[in-house]
Amino acid sequence: MDQDTAIGGPHGRFPSTRISLLEAATGGMPNEALERVIALYWKPVYRFIRFKFRKDNEDAKDLTQSFFTTALERDFFARFDPSKASFRTYLRMAVERFAANQHAAANRQKRGGDIEFEPLEEQAAEAESPERVFEREWQRQLFALALDDLRAHCEASGKELQLRIFEAYDLAGQERPSYAGLAAQHGIAETSVTNHLAWARRMLRGFVTERLRGVTSGDRELREEMRRVWT
Amino acid sequence: MDLSDSVLDHLRHMAALPDLTGTRYELEREIGRGGMGVVYAARDRELDRRVALKVLDAELEGEARLIARLEHPAIVPIHEAGRLPDGRAFYAMKLVAGVRLDHHLARSPSLAERLRAIRRVGEALAYAHTAGAIHRDLKPQNVMVGEFGELYVMDWGVDAVAGTPGFRAPETPLDRRSDIYSLGALLQFVLPAGGPPALRAIAAKAMRADPADRYPDAGALLADIERFQEGLAVGAWSEPWGHRLRRFGSRNAVLLWLLAAYAGVKFVLFFLRNL
Repeated sequence: MDQDTAIGGPHGRFPSTRISLLEAATGGMPNEALERVIALYWKPVYRFIRFKFRKDNEDAKDLTQSFFTTALERDFFARFDPSKASFRTYLRMAVERFAANQHAAANRQKRGGDIEFEPLEEQAAEAESPERVFEREWQRQLFALALDDLRAHCEASGKELQLRIFEAYDLAGQERPSYAGLAAQHGIAETSVTNHLAWARRMLRGFVTERLRGVTSGDRELREEMRRVWT
Repeated sequence: MDLSDSVLDHLRHMAALPDLTGTRYELEREIGRGGMGVVYAARDRELDRRVALKVLDAELEGEARLIARLEHPAIVPIHEAGRLPDGRAFYAMKLVAGVRLDHHLARSPSLAERLRAIRRVGEALAYAHTAGAIHRDLKPQNVMVGEFGELYVMDWGVDAVAGTPGFRAPETPLDRRSDIYSLGALLQFVLPAGGPPALRAIAAKAMRADPADRYPDAGALLADIERFQEGLAVGAWSEPWGHRLRRFGSRNAVLLWLLAAYAGVKFVLFFLRNL
């Protein structure tokens, strides 16, 4: 299977997310609003299109790019009604309609053409629905952006030790080191390890919340989306 | 580099846990999820006792203040309310050892026990309404029955989006009459299959679509239940004659037996006099 795209990352610093998505979109900052949306949703949309419409990497990238370009041209935010659905659901449904139309048009053009092969890995992924893949990627991207924010904050405020301990423990892919091991490695007390981890998690939670605030319509939607993020 | 599924799940879990650094509490485990947040069992180190710690999702400090004002035997007492270092509002309350009302019903309690539970909930509601509080999410999962039969109404809400299908009144915004609807739904829920029609009628009246057609307050609903338990006609039901006679018979059984005995004696005496 061809590799996933690198577009949409790595994640640089991002415009302020202190105001909600709709405030940004209607307050003369539609480009900033879209930038926030793209930073968080580019990969989920891309993965959703790949799995839902069985597109290869390049086609999925093109469709994703076209979707966001069209969204900007067609007053995408003005048509979002927070009383009907979350922005996440609204966006996924818009992607689905957009990609379905494009997919149908492409199929009409090549009707009678070659048989489309389905890569093996994609068949395996069908155990998960495309909607589930979308939500999972949304969570993954949200945390990736919040981790970028955390790293930037630690670098700017001289909290590299806290960051190193956090990365060693909470981002450990395999076996997690013990608190005692981390304390010995960094020459600090075990309680300091606990405190540093608590601090980093608190900051991470704050950055996740801020990122979410930037792509939700207000407190109510923010709260509902947070419930979908925390386990 | 993308986060792996396992790292992502770990981060989601760790970032969700309440940050209790600098507080008197020590986290034990999650014990439930309510409409507004998550409830944990925790240990209060200063007083060496276990408490329930409710951590609210967002800016909902009003909920804690609202409940802290309520002092009633069927409303779980609040020990402390505050803000965690991570910014979330929380409150610590008595940790109730017991089961949810829906689980309690699985033990097949008697009708009298079921009605006692409804009365306790209704009394708590009536009190809260006079104090200006509205529950907004009354349902069996929010009623705890303790091991000695004590009962607590939990999860008092302040959010306009609260409510659970089946127990939530249709109107928006929710008000005191919406709680009456939920109390009716709770009564309907606790009644056993084929429960008395008078009680079903009380539940139906409480659950009318138009709030103006419901009981005006929890007290009026409880009064109708009490009338049923005393063998009197309930206001919510226009009773058929057959039911009325049966109810009259069972309510005045002693009198009827005395009258029957008197008539029997008179008959025997009459019979003996004419021998």
